[in-house]
Amino acid sequence: MSSGGPRTKRNMPGLLRASLNPWLVRVPDHPERLAFVLHRVTGVIIILYLLAHIVVTGTPAWRGWAAWDSLMTQFNNIWNQIGEFIVAGSVLFHGMNGIRLLLTEFFGLCLGEPEPPKPPYIPPTYRACQRKLLYAVFALWPILWFVAGLLIFGVW
Amino acid sequence: MAASRIQVWQYITAILLIFFLGYHLAERLPWLWGYHHYHETLYSQFVQHQYHSWWAGGLLILAYVALFHGLNGVRGILYEWRPRWGRAWDALFWLIFIIFAILGTYTVVKLW
Amino acid sequence: MVGIDPKAATKTPPKVVTIRVRRYNPVSGREWWQEYKVETHRGMTVLDALLKIKEEIDHTLVMRYSCRMGVCGSCGMVINGTPRLACQTQIAEVADEANPVITVEPLYNFPVIRDLLTDFTSFFEKHRKVMPYLIRNDREEQEDPKGQYLMSREDYEYLEEFTLCISCGLCYAACPVAAIDPDYLGPQALGYLFRYVIDTRDEAWEMRLKIADDEHGCHRCHYAGTCSMVCPKVVDPAQAIQRLRSILFKYKLGLYRKKKISGISPPPKEWKPRKPLPPEAKPVSSEVDYKKLEEEPVVIEVEDRRITLRHKIYE
Repeated sequence: MSSGGPRTKRNMPGLLRASLNPWLVRVPDHPERLAFVLHRVTGVIIILYLLAHIVVTGTPAWRGWAAWDSLMTQFNNIWNQIGEFIVAGSVLFHGMNGIRLLLTEFFGLCLGEPEPPKPPYIPPTYRACQRKLLYAVFALWPILWFVAGLLIFGVW
Repeated sequence: MAASRIQVWQYITAILLIFFLGYHLAERLPWLWGYHHYHETLYSQFVQHQYHSWWAGGLLILAYVALFHGLNGVRGILYEWRPRWGRAWDALFWLIFIIFAILGTYTVVKLW
Repeated sequence: MVGIDPKAATKTPPKVVTIRVRRYNPVSGREWWQEYKVETHRGMTVLDALLKIKEEIDHTLVMRYSCRMGVCGSCGMVINGTPRLACQTQIAEVADEANPVITVEPLYNFPVIRDLLTDFTSFFEKHRKVMPYLIRNDREEQEDPKGQYLMSREDYEYLEEFTLCISCGLCYAACPVAAIDPDYLGPQALGYLFRYVIDTRDEAWEMRLKIADDEHGCHRCHYAGTCSMVCPKVVDPAQAIQRLRSILFKYKLGLYRKKKISGISPPPKEWKPRKPLPPEAKPVSSEVDYKKLEEEPVVIEVEDRRITLRHKIYE
């Protein structure tokens, strides 16, 4: 189409807005969307940590165990602890929500049975046990994260 | 190539991660291993021991499985972001996977 | 789920509402928000309000609509941030005296042609891609059928909800993956694909699984599930895609067995004689004055929950 002629407008929110904003589309009572955003964000945090982790844990192989111990002493500061705390929270959420996704996406379980629509018109997915699993994830996550925090910050 | 050939491994690795990563995280719980603080489980006194046991093989599998699962997840996001560059994302995925898998293998084999 | 409130039409909306419309001019490329004040009445829908604007205030406002009763799926719009059918959305549902402002935007993830009018070309291409029709190995029989394809009641009830899709595009507009990946098949097409994969009358399910087994097919879904939340027909594409993916993995691992493909009903041996009409029934005589018939109202009798439609001409 020529530059001066009529043209359609692209109306897609794009990667960052769709991946980071769980309220991009306003829908009440919808924790699955929040779980999707959290799963994606925690996944990215974990893979970045994993790559760094593989490099750092290579230290004793390249430079010996003494170097590893001095590195661990060096890493024992508040900023690294905050980083570890964020990674621990990410792993806990990603793991627990991952079990729910394994059951639904891979095994096709916890999805409810398809049925002809009837009042109050709530799709079977949202009455199925996956929703209860998701509530369990959201309930357990802060508790386990708190415990991990006690360990990481040396309170326990 | 059918996408499920790779995607099915995303879920198989996820199942493996539950057990392998679960154990790896349990290694950081001090009272299971007779320590007082989480930080003590990071020093060579405890870690070195792990490389001489059966768990060295477990660590190796954990590294491969976690790398595959994580990098394939990122590959999926990149596929959504720029669908036209699919082949480049595949190549990047395997490149990073192989580099870090070699690095992990070297560490475990050297410290065995 | 969203937009199915049977009591909404009985509520009284605010007397005057402000409709904020996200507008777009394709020639100048200008985008802007425009506000209109509309007087409401009980039972008024957002589509009614938009049509009132078009008739009385601003003829240049562009939108797509057809049936006005939630059947055709043409008037999908983002109303107060939620993809909904404008004809099924009561003003009273989305505005009240405290906040009498309704924002209306074109559906997300679709190219905007003008104002609220979106381009469904690629959406319907994806719909076509999944071959949304029955395919039998015996093509000759399908072209010239001798009987009906059989299906048990249970099998039908299992897929009934997935057959109710009206292709309104609300699920596609709500999907966070369709918001990033323009090649993603989307909840509508994948839901349709699943509906035929599990159909006991369909024999092309392996071909369909191959279509779903693409980098931009069912693997791109991450089960955010907003599609099912906004569906005006409670189709539940989120469940369909998870089941589809699960079937695909089982199929790839050699563990999936499709239900037995149904046969064809035998042709009726002989036509049964028609039941005679009851004695009280009077057939319309050939001397009926049809003009008169149109003028006179139909009598509706409601007696003990039985509704009888009667015309004076039969008395």
